[in-house]
Amino acid sequence: MNIVTGKWSFYINGALIALLIVFCLYLFDDSLGMGDGMVVVSEYCNTAVKDKAINPPPALDWQTGFLCGIFIGALAASIISGKWKIRFMQDSEGDGIAATFVKTIVFGLAGGFLVMLGLQLAGDTFFGQWAAAIQMSSGAWIFLISTFGIATMTAILMERRKEGAKAGGDK
Amino acid sequence: MEPLALTGNYRLVAAIFVGIAFGFLLIKSDLAWRSTCLNAIRLKDSRVLKTFLFSIAIGVTLFFFAEKSGLVHIHVRPSYFWASLIGGIICGTGISLCCRVPVTAIASLAAGRIYVIWVILGMLLAYPCVNFMSGFLSKTIYNWSEPIKTEASVGSFFNLTNAGLWVAGISLLLVLFLHFTLGGDSEEK
Repeated sequence: MNIVTGKWSFYINGALIALLIVFCLYLFDDSLGMGDGMVVVSEYCNTAVKDKAINPPPALDWQTGFLCGIFIGALAASIISGKWKIRFMQDSEGDGIAATFVKTIVFGLAGGFLVMLGLQLAGDTFFGQWAAAIQMSSGAWIFLISTFGIATMTAILMERRKEGAKAGGDK
Repeated sequence: MEPLALTGNYRLVAAIFVGIAFGFLLIKSDLAWRSTCLNAIRLKDSRVLKTFLFSIAIGVTLFFFAEKSGLVHIHVRPSYFWASLIGGIICGTGISLCCRVPVTAIASLAAGRIYVIWVILGMLLAYPCVNFMSGFLSKTIYNWSEPIKTEASVGSFFNLTNAGLWVAGISLLLVLFLHFTLGGDSEEK
């Protein structure tokens, strides 16, 4: 398997992510959640909407720089791996085009809103919570366990409901 | 030894390079795809969970020794029991709908999944909402419990009173458990 174009094993990814988090703490000596970077982007969007004009972009600090880096890195990796594809809608999962289109918008907006609301309440972004869990923060562990528990329960219940509706329709 | 604690332009350049490495990893580890995240939370694909647990096991060990040698300091934002719990419940509900967190949403958008723009828009809308409710939140959720204290680390890693040893061990056991029970490797379409 080619190391550049192929998929990497979970233990390589896991070890590299751990290494990256500890290396970031060494480099920046700061908490790693990118919340401040997202706040800057959100405030810029708010001002642009209020002024009805595209203002000069905010000054690049290290957290917004990190977000830009993620974009560049993901773009490069997806092109190199042959996974770069333009998609305007999520996978249909057996729904029609109209239903998939509505689901993409509603689930995207509602899901994104709830994810960020939860992260803001807990006080850091998901990456920040991940880094805090590595630093043995009890708050991060409470957050991560409750997130995974609720996400699993909700996803399985939604899938069961869909299967139930299909089975009901087949009768 | 002390942390490097870069400043100024060096800090910005280093952040961009580290971001590039992280973005590359998000694609290579499949964390950026909706299908792998959805299959992970439906307990059908163990790849994402194994990556997370393995990174915790390695990270906790690495961090312990790095902190002991003075290379890194603990940097954790203040957390409150009820805020973490309620935040986790709300965030988990959101993840089951959109299957993205901020960094994976940015990585997906970079990989051409234009529809993720709705997720990012939803995320950006949450900030004004939290600002609007900040007074209420300070009086309620953040006032129900004291900030959670981070425990001081013990002298040796292989000490049974070291919580990090337990976390690393249990994470590795869970990786093995998931490896032999759940399937894996669902492909992004």
